Amino acid sequence: MSSQSPMIKTRKPGERIFCFLLVLGSVYLFWQAYNISGFSSLSSPGAFPLAASAAMILASCVTFLNTLKVPAAKDVRFVYHCFPPVIATIMALILIYSVVLESLGFILTSFAFLFISIQFLYRRSPLITLAITLFALIVVYIIFRLVFQVVLPEGIVPEREILSSIKSLWR
Amino acid sequence: MDAFNYFAMSWLSPELLGLTALGTFLGIYVGAIPGLSVTMAVSILISFTFSWDVNYALCLMVGVYMGGVYGGSRTAILLNIPGAPSAIATALDGYPLAKKGLAGEAIGLSTIMSVVGGFVGIIVLAIAAPTVSEFAITFQPRDYMMLGVLGIMLVGSLSGSSLARGIFAGALGLLIGTVGLDPMTAEERFTFGVVELWDGINPVAVMIGMFGISEALHQLHHMNKAVVKQKISRIIPKWSDIKKYMPLSLQTSFIGVIVGALPGTGGDIAALMAYDHAKRVTKNPKVPFGEGAKEGLIAPESANNAAVGGAYIPMLTLGIPGDAVTAVFIGALFIHGLNPGPLLLIEQPHMFWFTVGNLTLANIFVLIFGLTGIRLFSKIVECPKGILIPLIFLLSIVGAYAINNAITDIWWMLAFGVFGYFMRLYGFPVGPVILGVILSSLTDENWRRAILSERGSVGDLFINLFHSPLSTVLFSVIVLILFTQSPIWTKWLKRKLFR
Repeated sequence: MSSQSPMIKTRKPGERIFCFLLVLGSVYLFWQAYNISGFSSLSSPGAFPLAASAAMILASCVTFLNTLKVPAAKDVRFVYHCFPPVIATIMALILIYSVVLESLGFILTSFAFLFISIQFLYRRSPLITLAITLFALIVVYIIFRLVFQVVLPEGIVPEREILSSIKSLWR
Repeated sequence: MDAFNYFAMSWLSPELLGLTALGTFLGIYVGAIPGLSVTMAVSILISFTFSWDVNYALCLMVGVYMGGVYGGSRTAILLNIPGAPSAIATALDGYPLAKKGLAGEAIGLSTIMSVVGGFVGIIVLAIAAPTVSEFAITFQPRDYMMLGVLGIMLVGSLSGSSLARGIFAGALGLLIGTVGLDPMTAEERFTFGVVELWDGINPVAVMIGMFGISEALHQLHHMNKAVVKQKISRIIPKWSDIKKYMPLSLQTSFIGVIVGALPGTGGDIAALMAYDHAKRVTKNPKVPFGEGAKEGLIAPESANNAAVGGAYIPMLTLGIPGDAVTAVFIGALFIHGLNPGPLLLIEQPHMFWFTVGNLTLANIFVLIFGLTGIRLFSKIVECPKGILIPLIFLLSIVGAYAINNAITDIWWMLAFGVFGYFMRLYGFPVGPVILGVILSSLTDENWRRAILSERGSVGDLFINLFHSPLSTVLFSVIVLILFTQSPIWTKWLKRKLFR
């Protein structure tokens, strides 16, 4: 075993800042926990949150101090290896999807989200993406909306009217 | 007789039978596709099924759990990529077998032995759980509090390389669990004056964010991994092979049940321990271990499926999770109004026998689906991540919305998803967060009850611990686990092992 060279631990870009933010966040939460009932008694509603946030402070401080000792990883950049454009773009897409979901409705927003994200990640012809999107959306809609009866936001699409007219075709 | 009726309930109802089959089928694929985990699938499912009748929801989730643990072996054998952590040991000999053109036989044998393991786990669950439960009724609030602490100490095994990071994640989970009105005094905790926070943060939104969104975001780092295809030969294994390896399968199944029943150890550890056991007891293997020894395939597969039954013992009788999946399961049971713990078997024995029957049924479906549809399976597993990942996001968002039909839950899910992504990126485990959320109220409320019963004196609480044999045992176990997770112990162990 001794002949093996030990693996050198390195720090990823942004790791130190993240750990420092965790220390700050923990201190803030400890303050908020203190505001519940102070140090009044061990059975007070604030006692357990105080203990939990104190553990957070302790653990985040240890982690932060460890990052100070560890050297930074070479040839690793935050923008490429930790938060690459693909992740930032997808996060932005999810955010937009969530914002417009209630106002535009499940069908329209999900269609747009699936089409754009599959096209962005899969990179095939738009027609193939369109076919995949439509297939996936129909399957998801049938399973969750029609079979599992999950209530989904209707938005601007008169979904109930469309469904009842489809049902009336079968009568 | 009643017990038998409840046991057979999911077998006789076409809907329950169908849902168990569907769950097992889905579970096999979820477990097999690298990047999708059973924990992720169960957390997404909770949001879709919480308004259902509890039996229907349980059938689907039990099927996913049982199928998912088995499913991981398929990609381990075919692609050398374990679909789930419990299949890591399977790849060691499963993939070499596939490279020799025996992929079908390896899948067949692993299926049969997984099912054997599953049955052993279920039998032990059915026998042991009622006894454990009867014993657990005598628990005092301080014992429950210590059980909560014992569960929280799971962070040690879920922490990976850094215990401090695990403790941070676990403590964060405990804190998230306290948000809202205090159930004992109705005092506001971390609500910041926002009325919507009075009910707390929905644990399902936390689960979907931490396991669904963050895992899918993380998968975006590995978009270009190529998939190696294998030829599929005969699938049904030889009867002589089944007979030959049955004793080993039974031995490793018992290892799996015991390891699975211990808090903090799940199918992955059970499989590795079973692999090690197989190596030690197989004196002259036909093929060396690591080069396609069938013993090396059978042992982990029997053990990881047996661990499912084992994990259900502390989950149903004590209300403490064995691993991240069972933590999510406990959350699901709470959402459905069930209270996993010692009283579950007394107040709702039908739920226990229903679960046992359902696990048995799911295990049979593992056998059916495990030996069929391999060609369809290889097509689905090859589904490009560029299609799969957007679908996971879609299901996660819809799932979060479906909890309360409120956009607020989506925001929470997204916040925890993004935070979970950075946590994973910088080596913080996300499992302990869920563990903390689940165990928060159990520990908080019982700590306060215990300290109130001692009139606020910690000294009296500590001294009285030793007046009860049960409390003394629990306290000793906590001290023992704490010691075995300390750096002193790990350093000593490393020195001893590598001397």
